[in-house]
Amino acid sequence: MTAAGGTITILIGAVLLRLTVTDTYSRYVRPELGVFLTISGIFVIVLGLATLVGALRPGRNAAAHDHDHDHDAVGVGWLLLAPIAALLLVAPPTLGSYGVGRAAAIDIRSGGAVFDSLPRSSAPRQMTLLEFGQRAFDHNGSNFNHASVQLTGFVSATESRGFQLARYQIACCAADATPVVIQVVGTSGDPPPLDQWVTVTGTFRPGGREIPKLAATSIVEIAAPNEPYE
Amino acid sequence: MARAAGKDVALGGADQGDLDGRSRAWRPDAGIAVVVLVIVAAAVLRPALVDLLDRPAVAHWATIFVSIAIAAMPFLVLGISISAAIAAFVPPGFLPRILPDRPALAVPVAAVAGAALPGCECGSVPIAGRLVSRGAPAAAALTFLLSAPAINPVVLVATAVAFPGMPEVVAARLLASLLAATVVGLVWARFGRDSLLDRARRSHSHGGTRLSVLAGTAQHDLLQAGGFLIVGAATAATLQTVVPRSVLDSVAGSGFFALLALAGLAVLMAICSEADAFVAASLTQFSLSARLAFMVVGPMVDVKLISLQVGTFGGRFALRFAPLTFVSAVGSAALVAWWLL
Repeated sequence: MTAAGGTITILIGAVLLRLTVTDTYSRYVRPELGVFLTISGIFVIVLGLATLVGALRPGRNAAAHDHDHDHDAVGVGWLLLAPIAALLLVAPPTLGSYGVGRAAAIDIRSGGAVFDSLPRSSAPRQMTLLEFGQRAFDHNGSNFNHASVQLTGFVSATESRGFQLARYQIACCAADATPVVIQVVGTSGDPPPLDQWVTVTGTFRPGGREIPKLAATSIVEIAAPNEPYE
Repeated sequence: MARAAGKDVALGGADQGDLDGRSRAWRPDAGIAVVVLVIVAAAVLRPALVDLLDRPAVAHWATIFVSIAIAAMPFLVLGISISAAIAAFVPPGFLPRILPDRPALAVPVAAVAGAALPGCECGSVPIAGRLVSRGAPAAAALTFLLSAPAINPVVLVATAVAFPGMPEVVAARLLASLLAATVVGLVWARFGRDSLLDRARRSHSHGGTRLSVLAGTAQHDLLQAGGFLIVGAATAATLQTVVPRSVLDSVAGSGFFALLALAGLAVLMAICSEADAFVAASLTQFSLSARLAFMVVGPMVDVKLISLQVGTFGGRFALRFAPLTFVSAVGSAALVAWWLL
């Protein structure tokens, strides 16, 4: 294998390690995969270094070239430079509103979970959009018990009197992302812009059919969270 | 861009080829220079890249593209490690000796053996390629290639989690996948031509110490499989970005057409087999049979896998193998769904 192959391999490992060190990887894959990305990154860097040293060592060419040259060519491996260059310079963003209408929507009724009633407390209860949706379909949301809840997601559509809040669920990587969407109502003024991340506090409002409704009492615009998927 | 750069190197090498020794001394440096050039060019073009990512469709494409590539890396590394270990530690002639001669026996054994590899499809392609180059019967290696990503314990547990309270879905997935892999193996044993596998057979191991065989094989497989993975990831990202959801909704429902539609979707989406059950669970507008077809076809045929198979076994092979596998997977899913679901 040529020195170029070794260099590309080292770059692959460097990109993998950089993604895990900067925590950017959670934009693309489940957080649990992080440790495996680190292990793969180290493995690949060691492999690339071994190749590079072997290729540059004097006297190596005469001994090692007694077989097929094709086998040594980087060939299609050059294509790996495309994602490497892209990821070293610009990290693509987390999935946003563009994909909400394209992906298969999550069916929040699947599983048919049954929930205990929420306690009435002063502090709003933080929950995922998925749990909110599942609670909404369990006995028409009576388990909310009028308690205040807090949801974090991004704006996936805006309407005159509210907006849709969405968040993706991923099982492995962003290619299998499926969005959960809820309707935020009772807002005043202009809704936040598309793809803006917000934390919404409010109470469940019955009557949403396919898309459950949340009557907002406060909306805070936030930066995209470190782990953007549920 | 990277592709064009690769050609430049090849041409450069040929130009310098008059003096063989000189060219060899020259080539590695040229390769590194091209790598550096690509990175520098990308750095110079960075503002243009940032502008491009401001477009939602481009950003969506880029995120899915790098996601597939990144998520595949740990599995690919596992696959190439096992493949390299086979090259370094399994002596030639050993596999043909221990495997049953009769395909009718070897193929089902290979199908069940797939349960022992807890990975997804990206890792099993280099392993199957290595098994073929080490002289394992092609039918058995190909059966293993199909069954490993579909029936390993991680995938079955994920399926059980995605379909809570429905163990029949897990059983149906296991049976339909085993059946599909076995049928393909037996058909290949009867009608397949080994000449189609020349590319994998030719791929010999590096000489030298065990360690250098290990590193050389792993390095070669990583770049080979990785490059084709990039082609597959780009294809899947493109299809996910341009094919609108309404196409899917228009064929929703039950019946054989819906089953065929989800089988086709599995080919286009190229989701990792450890995650596809969750997507299948969410496709509630489709019948359970159609969603079973999605989970049986996905780990065996998809755009990313076809690309990897072209790289490992050659285009003429993939041209025959992918349709055969698709038909077998759809048929098995329909049959098992009719029986169990």
